[in-house]
Amino acid sequence: MLPVQTTQQVFEGMLRAKSGPDFCTNFYPVRQKLEAWVAHNALAFQQGGETTFFFRRDRNFWHLFYCAPSIQALQRDLCTLEELQTERVVADVLGTPEALEAWLPMLESAGLRRYKRLARMGRPAREIAAAVADGVALATRHDAGAIVALLEKAFDPFAKQLPSLEEIEAAAGGSEILLLKRGGALAGLLFFETRGVTSTLRFWAVAQEFRGSCVGSALIRHYLAGQRGVQRFVLWADGDDRVLIEKYRHYHYAEDGVVDYVLANDLITG
Amino acid sequence: MKPISAILQEIRPEYDFAASQDYISDGMLDSFDMMTLVAALERHYSVSIPGTAIAPENFRNAQAIQEMLNHCGVHP
Repeated sequence: MLPVQTTQQVFEGMLRAKSGPDFCTNFYPVRQKLEAWVAHNALAFQQGGETTFFFRRDRNFWHLFYCAPSIQALQRDLCTLEELQTERVVADVLGTPEALEAWLPMLESAGLRRYKRLARMGRPAREIAAAVADGVALATRHDAGAIVALLEKAFDPFAKQLPSLEEIEAAAGGSEILLLKRGGALAGLLFFETRGVTSTLRFWAVAQEFRGSCVGSALIRHYLAGQRGVQRFVLWADGDDRVLIEKYRHYHYAEDGVVDYVLANDLITG
Repeated sequence: MKPISAILQEIRPEYDFAASQDYISDGMLDSFDMMTLVAALERHYSVSIPGTAIAPENFRNAQAIQEMLNHCGVHP
């Protein structure tokens, strides 16, 4: 694979595949994120037959994205993609379960295995009161190290796309991370992204030693109560974790039928 | 023929699309909604939308969507 040096290279690669009759992709980059990945040398590409593959480096593995002119081309080109044999790779595929059932066997035949199923949950805007003096505060850039440590402890990096230190610093600067500290230690955090009328809850975590002490509920209530003008709240949750799903339902989130299958190659699944 | 606004409303009933000039920046449509919208437009207008047309700028508001449909041979 070769490093991507400009965003233009990405758009050209996508355009090549888009000319096909049955364009398919799992790559929906937001320009701002794309520019950051290129600036940090975190993005590479590989032209495999008719398919353009992109790889985004994340810690010690890669996120795989494809832009293919057809499903048939993708299947053919995935089977000859050398990186699937030599690198630790995960790929996300979004859709409805019914639509994905046709896709998954094809991706599995190329050596990718089902690793995790994330379910999208949505919640309409609805009044909720934050607790008075709940102790929740906005993170600052100085909290970034502690935030990374808690995220890495609480989440599986292959299943959830964990932010880099730079992303966390930027989100803290943009007032998109809520923290609750107890005795100077980071007890819990809630990391969100609000764009216009939609707010995405990206991460909600409570440190092991503070579980069961209302840290999580203080954070989520503060978050939901504070998003003025938001009409829809969304998040992605582990679809097989019934306890977690129930917890979100308690706050009026509901599964909307869209899932994200996280696939991983044998170097990850063993 | 159902207007574009009605199709948008079916996909995301919670939003007031008439109040926005940029559905993407205003957070009303994400990439998955765009693909859902493409499928709904193709079904409703009996048209095939080429991959080259599936770009955020063609979905930023009803006028842009209509122009994209015009290019595909659909006229109001």
